[in-house]
Amino acid sequence: MAEVEAFKIRRKEEKKRSARMEDFLFTLKLIFHNRIAFAGLVITLAYFIIAIIDYADPRWLGVSNLSDALAFLHGKAYYPSATLVTPPTLAHGWYYWLGTTEYGIPILPDMLAALKVDLTLSVEIVLSGALIGLILGTVSAYYGGLIDEAMMRITDIFFSIPALILALAIAFIIGLTFTNIALAFIIVWWPIYARLGRSLTLSIKNMNFIEAANAAGSSSARNIFYHVIPGVLSPLFVQFSLDIGTVVQLFAALEFLGVVPVDPFLPELGRMMVWGETYLIYGKWWAVIIPAIFLMIFTISVSLLGDGLRDVLDPRQRR
Amino acid sequence: MITEEQTKKEEIQPVVKVSNLVTQFFTYKGIVKALDGVSFEIRPGEILGLVGESGCGKSVTATSIMDLIPDPPGRIISGEIYIDGFNTLADLNRQAKIIIKSETNVKVKRNKRYIKRHNFIMSHIRGNKISMIFQEPSLSMNPVMRIGDQIMEAILLHSKIEIADSIIRRETMTDEDIRKFYEDAVKTKTHLDLRGFVHKWSQDYGVAEAEDGIIEIIERNDQNAIQELKNIVAEQKTNIKLKYIQLEREYERYNNLLFDLNLQLMEAESKNDSLKINELREQIKRTQAYIRSKFSGYRLIKRFIGKRIEEPFRREARRRALELLKLVNIAGPDRVINSYPHELSGGMLQRSMIAMALSSNPKILIADEPTTALDVTTQAQILDIMKDLNRVTKTSILFITHDLAVIAEMCHRVAVMYAGNIVEEAPVKEIFKNPKHPYTVGLLKAIPRPDVKVNKFEKLESIKGSVPNLINPPSGCRFNPRCPFKMDICEREKPKLVDIGGGHKVACFLFENADGSRKEVE
Amino acid sequence: MELRYFIIRRILLLIPTLIGLTLLTFILVRALPTSLLLSQYVNPHSTLPRSVQIAHAKALLGLNYPVPVQYFFYLSALFHGEWGFMVSNFYTGPVLTGIEEFFPNTLQLTIFAVILSIIISIPLGTYIGSRPNSVADHAGRIFSLAVYAMPAFVLALVLQIVLGRGAITGNPLGVFPISGTFNYALVPFPVPSWLTSPNTSALVSHPTHLIIFDALIHHNYAIAYSGLLHIVLPVITLTLGILAGIVRFLRAGMMDNMRQEYVKTARAKGVPENVIIKRHIRKNALIPTVTVLGLLFASLLGGVVLIEDVFDYPGMGLLGINAITSYSIYGVMGVTLVFGLVLVFANLIVDVVYAFLDPRIRY
Ligand SMILES: Nc1ncnc2c1ncn2[C@@H]1O[C@H](COP(=O)(O)OP(=O)(O)OP(=O)(O)O)[C@@H](O)[C@H]1O
Ligand code: SF4
Ligand SMILES: [Mg+2]
Repeated sequence: MAEVEAFKIRRKEEKKRSARMEDFLFTLKLIFHNRIAFAGLVITLAYFIIAIIDYADPRWLGVSNLSDALAFLHGKAYYPSATLVTPPTLAHGWYYWLGTTEYGIPILPDMLAALKVDLTLSVEIVLSGALIGLILGTVSAYYGGLIDEAMMRITDIFFSIPALILALAIAFIIGLTFTNIALAFIIVWWPIYARLGRSLTLSIKNMNFIEAANAAGSSSARNIFYHVIPGVLSPLFVQFSLDIGTVVQLFAALEFLGVVPVDPFLPELGRMMVWGETYLIYGKWWAVIIPAIFLMIFTISVSLLGDGLRDVLDPRQRR
Repeated sequence: MITEEQTKKEEIQPVVKVSNLVTQFFTYKGIVKALDGVSFEIRPGEILGLVGESGCGKSVTATSIMDLIPDPPGRIISGEIYIDGFNTLADLNRQAKIIIKSETNVKVKRNKRYIKRHNFIMSHIRGNKISMIFQEPSLSMNPVMRIGDQIMEAILLHSKIEIADSIIRRETMTDEDIRKFYEDAVKTKTHLDLRGFVHKWSQDYGVAEAEDGIIEIIERNDQNAIQELKNIVAEQKTNIKLKYIQLEREYERYNNLLFDLNLQLMEAESKNDSLKINELREQIKRTQAYIRSKFSGYRLIKRFIGKRIEEPFRREARRRALELLKLVNIAGPDRVINSYPHELSGGMLQRSMIAMALSSNPKILIADEPTTALDVTTQAQILDIMKDLNRVTKTSILFITHDLAVIAEMCHRVAVMYAGNIVEEAPVKEIFKNPKHPYTVGLLKAIPRPDVKVNKFEKLESIKGSVPNLINPPSGCRFNPRCPFKMDICEREKPKLVDIGGGHKVACFLFENADGSRKEVE
Repeated sequence: MELRYFIIRRILLLIPTLIGLTLLTFILVRALPTSLLLSQYVNPHSTLPRSVQIAHAKALLGLNYPVPVQYFFYLSALFHGEWGFMVSNFYTGPVLTGIEEFFPNTLQLTIFAVILSIIISIPLGTYIGSRPNSVADHAGRIFSLAVYAMPAFVLALVLQIVLGRGAITGNPLGVFPISGTFNYALVPFPVPSWLTSPNTSALVSHPTHLIIFDALIHHNYAIAYSGLLHIVLPVITLTLGILAGIVRFLRAGMMDNMRQEYVKTARAKGVPENVIIKRHIRKNALIPTVTVLGLLFASLLGGVVLIEDVFDYPGMGLLGINAITSYSIYGVMGVTLVFGLVLVFANLIVDVVYAFLDPRIRY
């Protein structure tokens, strides 16, 4: 009996594998069809590609670390008048297209370089949070019982304090440094994923193929890795894409509040906006508005991509 | 039962007549040609069964008739659907232009004005002349509305004028009326006569809630009976001003007038009668303007005291809903009317659905596999109810199922569907005794019969192959890849549905010559 | 009525959450060195000598007992209103008194923001959700996404510049004040008793502590109007921040429900399309939307901290930020706890509304 079941399942899996490829191509096609989601995809990719280029060779973009920044301050690229240059300035090459900050640091390359820091940070935070949450949530839902109950209560507690405030409090206790704040964010972030992973696992657990796999004698660990995790991955990916933008924003917010010590020469969008703010009152808007819009475009794109992905991955929407 | 003679009579106008209905779905994978020229008709008082394998287009046929095809992706491409003699698809070509560039690239240019008019017309037809019940009763009820409210909604949508009339009669009733009624009532001979007389009167005068009390008073027949009657009637009166009831009635009446005018306009348009078209358009515009000017103040008032104005209507609607629930033999109608869908069983929900569908005495009821989701005993009860209703109220039923046993029990006539075509149509006895189309023959063989011992696998093999993909359906006769009698012509041409005598129609070249003439059946 | 039992059960469920919340703040506080805990309990303005105060704090916090037992001392201290002391250039004094003084201001902001965002987002979400992929849908989505994606403080700054009084000289649009709760110049000379605080010199209104309402109660319409003007910009910023979330979920819910079977039934009954949207679809679509309101409210509270900083609005957020920058442990603890409590009770309300909307869950 079990053998027959096992055979059936193997056949099913083989079929599924070839179906999966087809499915993937179909998904791609759907994304291309959904023009807004596609635009989101393109812009998001562009941002990441810029960050990756910066990793490969910082000189391609401009200011990427302290020495480069100092080079701008004292070196050749130093803008003659050293004040805020009004954009658009076409005279001195593409560096100055979007104007400069107060030290004459050109905004455009600074912003591009900032992507490296910001995206790394937010991917690190969200990825670690998601990983911890995914593992804890999936496992607790899979085993159920007391473990699950305890996990629910713990996440409840985390959800009972606004994320930004909890992160601030935790960072305050462990010391207000750049790294600690990132750590605090991870601590605040994982419960979201634990909840998500849990609910997805529960819905998948109730599907009958797990029962069939159990009947065919596959072990629990195998079950988790072959059936559960792939099933929860796509919705998690949607959440992931939405959070990436949020983290950069929250980080910038903390810098604005003055609780994060900012490295003046670290190209970082939050720092740029905080510095720019001082000049806003004099009508010199670009030093803050341009980085803000740059960040805004990114957040919108990932959200649109996330929305589109949700639509596309939702089997009910596939027609 | 419909006798042979009745079926022969030509002058009976069918309640629903579908001809050459083509419905397609434009999906990213290609165009699903779900219906490919479906024609049939349903006569008054008849139960027509529609059978076929899963995915053959039964539900699409039903939803096309109701005009509930989800758009996008689906659209009715062409055809005619006469409901009670009126072609609801008359302005189909005006509603949207469909530009097919390729299988996966289809542009639909919709004309909002015509679609809006179409929706307006359909919302007056649906639930009024034609109702539908669905397969999954638990999904088909709004989960956050009480059953009673959902039934009342249907009643209030289509019977407002009637209710308003009865309320107005009640509120303006004089002592003279009551005396006259009493004298007439006393004259009735038997208890049953009295009941019938009082029932009719109390319906007309909107005091049906007190019906039992009235009967009691009249049967007692003592001196102050008239005074008691007056009291009991006075109790039923509301404290809302009669003016509002009248306004509500007027509003509804003008809306109905608008509906009628639009129907006439559509008819004129299909006849290309430009004089009449202009005249009707003018008239519609005037009516709309009149409604706007006359009722704008009333609608503003309704924002504030709408609940109070609705109250007497809702009371009457509630009474009718209870009556309907009793009609479908539901257990504890008083409880059910206040329940939410999740508190009821599938059988009870399906009964409530039927009650809702019957709320405005439709000419035809479409039932799309109404019993598939239910257990066997409940299935039998629901079928009984529908059969009884058909007998008593003479409502025609389009009964969709893939259970041939149910067809045999329920229906007068049967239409067999295959891959978007009607392949055979005949009175029910004829189909079972004398099936003609190879598909029908196979389908009948697939019924497990206790008298013939068959291997479990053989049964499945009786029609080999599976339902074709409707994006690239087989050319010619869509059944040809599975047909044991396939001929050359079957791949080239599409057989027409021809009458082979006795109301038995078949679409198959075994029974038809290529020129469309009927082959002699051996 | 079943709803009542649901509410009672839900209130009982508050107990473990509240225990967890206090436990978390306790752990946060206990993670710091004991000496710091004690020294920050000292009130510098008190006449009692420092050593006496420290001994008192030691007894109060039960520091001689094992750590798990200390949690109960901590709870008891909280119940007795001994929330510690904070010293900063924004506020110096007992933490609880500070919270009492500043919390109403924050409450005032959030109440207005929540009401405004619900009033705007529900019609907007319904409208665009019932026309998926139309021009209105795309425009509405992009707009609400744009304001959501704009960092809150930048949005606040832009609003200050464009609509703020005195930010740019000669700006005809600049009519709204950009800092504070109301114009202090309007306070009549012998300061009326409803505007004075018994224990601090600050202006604290009575009886509700909400300046706009108190001024209305005492018929000082000038102050009420000024108070209203002062919260316009902060409330707009906060509203825009959560608007997108509600609109987005409502839209998704609308689109989801549009495909449900019961909508087909309603159409089959002949219900007109606009009634289907309002009476059938929206009511169902609001259910999942309500469930995310709790999360959105949390983000709103986070936003309050930023907004108060930008607008110099004396509320809990500003108190918290100042506690952090002046390393006041009890200030941070108190603010965290209060924000937690607010969120817990907001979630309670959300759950009750949810049960009210969805008959399926109150069993
Ligand atoms: N919304 C849709 N989008 C795309 N294709 C559809 C849609 N609805 C129906 N179809 C297609 O139309 C065809 C007929 O479907 P239909 O639901 O009418 O089958 P059915 O005869 O009612 O089957 P069942 O017995 O399973 O209810 C199927 O091939 C289906 O794929
Ligand atoms: S037309 Fe041809 S293929 Fe179709 S059923 Fe008849 S014999 Fe078979
Ligand atoms: Mg069907």
